[in-house]
Amino acid sequence: MPTNLQSAETEAVGQAPWTWPVFAAPGLIWLVLLFLVPFYAVLAVAMGGIDPIFLKPLPEWNPLQWDFTAFGEVLADLFGGQLGVIAMRTIVYVVVASLFSVLVGYPVAYFVARRVERHKALWLAGLLAPFWINYLMRMLAWVNLLSPDGLINKIIGFAGIPEQAWLEGRHLTVILGLVYGYLPFFILPLYAALDRIDRQVLEAARDLGASPTQAFLRVTAPLSRQGVLAGLVIIMLPMFGDYYTPNLLSGSPRTRMIGNQIDQFVNQTSSQGGQGAALTLILMAAVGLLMLYYLFNIARVTREARE
Amino acid sequence: MVFHPREGRNPRKPTRGLTRRDFILRSAALGISLPTLSAILAACGGDQDAAGEVLIGTPSSPVTQPLFDDNPVIASGTAPEAGPLRVYNWSDYINPDTIPVAEEALGVDIEVTTYFNEEEAIQKLISGEVSFDVWFPVAQSIPKVVAGKLIQPLNHDYLPNLVNVWPQLQNPFYDQGSLYSVPYVVYQTGIAWRTDHVDDADVMEVANPWDVFWNDKYRGITGLYDDFRETLYMVMLRNGVADPAVATEAEIDAAADGLVELIDLMDIRYTIDGVYSGMPEDRFGLHLAWSGDTVATPFYFPEDADPSVMRYLWPVNVGDSVKGSIANDTIAVLKGAQKPVLAHQFLNFMLDENNALENFGWVGYQPPQNGLDVDTLVADEWVPDYLSSAIVLPEDFDNPRAVVPTQLSAAQEALMLDAWSKAQSGG
Repeated sequence: MPTNLQSAETEAVGQAPWTWPVFAAPGLIWLVLLFLVPFYAVLAVAMGGIDPIFLKPLPEWNPLQWDFTAFGEVLADLFGGQLGVIAMRTIVYVVVASLFSVLVGYPVAYFVARRVERHKALWLAGLLAPFWINYLMRMLAWVNLLSPDGLINKIIGFAGIPEQAWLEGRHLTVILGLVYGYLPFFILPLYAALDRIDRQVLEAARDLGASPTQAFLRVTAPLSRQGVLAGLVIIMLPMFGDYYTPNLLSGSPRTRMIGNQIDQFVNQTSSQGGQGAALTLILMAAVGLLMLYYLFNIARVTREARE
Repeated sequence: MVFHPREGRNPRKPTRGLTRRDFILRSAALGISLPTLSAILAACGGDQDAAGEVLIGTPSSPVTQPLFDDNPVIASGTAPEAGPLRVYNWSDYINPDTIPVAEEALGVDIEVTTYFNEEEAIQKLISGEVSFDVWFPVAQSIPKVVAGKLIQPLNHDYLPNLVNVWPQLQNPFYDQGSLYSVPYVVYQTGIAWRTDHVDDADVMEVANPWDVFWNDKYRGITGLYDDFRETLYMVMLRNGVADPAVATEAEIDAAADGLVELIDLMDIRYTIDGVYSGMPEDRFGLHLAWSGDTVATPFYFPEDADPSVMRYLWPVNVGDSVKGSIANDTIAVLKGAQKPVLAHQFLNFMLDENNALENFGWVGYQPPQNGLDVDTLVADEWVPDYLSSAIVLPEDFDNPRAVVPTQLSAAQEALMLDAWSKAQSGG
């Protein structure tokens, strides 16, 4: 049912009620296809068989003939096998990297949104600066910086700290790599949320006797919660599937993530495409829960705002 | 499937042409990870109308690949087609300067399209997504691509330069009589090290050189290939397994245990670029190494560093019991080639000694040409003297301790992949 605002807009410009749905249809159809077709293709591979000559996955398009073997194998390995260890490691990496991102990114977003008065565009451009350089090149730069005779070891050497083997399968290195790679994606939506907070609300809080800390905790923090959640969703989803950050910054089995396992199933072997597809779908379901929480939260906030 | 030396020459397809931003946005939007795209491609394959038995030969039991009525040899004496000739090859696996020379020699334009790994290439070829004339399959794939009728039998009337090739590879065990393929390059899997980090004696003056990967003096600077077959083969050969292709489950498990041990003992890391890139950059001092990667290392050293610290050993050359693997790649004409005569002429061009040598100078992987020996390659500075041990000899293929990888059965591959997963996840 159209809202009053929508009706007013439509009437004001003399448009038929179907105008905007028609305009939106091609894009919506494209988006739906872009999700559904690949999703079904992955499902068909996960439920399919193996070509006897090429030992390659053969998708099974008919749901009546689906074979759940690959799913069974992956699930069994996830709950009681080596895959479970990798999955737990991935969850820990992503959660810790996300917490780091909040700790580092929130003050930056807050500063740019609330404290920078002039040249705000310049600051935003600075936040986007990492995007100007190819991700791979940035990570390779870190490989050099973290190498035994790299800049990082030289700097800590000045402080009397012994040289560290950063690239020899350190959990911390991979986590920091994830934070570095995805932090800007956290900051930007949070910045937008913080920038939208009406300053008069904060002034009202102060007028009513709140200290700056109380105003932050009782006004800014709750109002920026959606921005934090949006940022977390945006960075956590790709982090769960990341595989080249651990590849580049470690290469050790100690730091193997779910994405590496999917890469192995799909790209390194002939016959395990089905397992790769099954693991992809399981990962998708897991991160889908994260997305659902976010969507429910958005819906709740929107409902409360209307009330 | 295994990884292939050529995959090391490129960043491992982290973006597949997507920008970082595209990657993040698409992943977030779809809620799926990037590798899923590969699975999507795989899903587009469709059913194969493949017929024919997969004949997997071994050096002791060579096979002649079958001919099929619906996949005939082209007639002799046919005029070459008009260009362009479409070549499907690994990334960076042909000298860019060789292409214009070939274009001039054949009088046509040549279009080279590349792929990152053979799985990707085969998937696209069987799905009909791509159409090319010439392809560069690895030798161990020949049985299945013949049975699946991806490549066509060759007419040797168009290949007079085949006589330039080492006799063993004119009549290889996987394709007796070179009915479907001609050899392209050869390589061993051995040990590369830097003398400023590793004592020569720890590699060369020990009963089993493979043991150096378990020598904790070199903890933190040691790497293995992120390639289940190469690395598991190495451990099995170290353990004395006669033929890893038919190893028992216990032997494969023992190999996995050996790799798990390396995680803490050596802080082992798995890479594809660790030799040609990681060693010149001093990220590794010791690495499992393809001979071709090792030959290429001097070109990757920083200007202020000395590449003569590099050394290479094929362990077969030490003692009288240690085994090591050796392999070759091939060139073939695709069954669906639009320009089959031209494709044959291109194969013949690549078998010419001068053309093969020029190509070697850039690719780093050695053509099995009769006219090229160690003295020539070193004297003419194609290979530095300190890496002359990385030059493959024809007799290496005849060495009874040389193991030539063959296509694995599905069951054997499954066992190895389970072992690999165990090794990769720490047991």
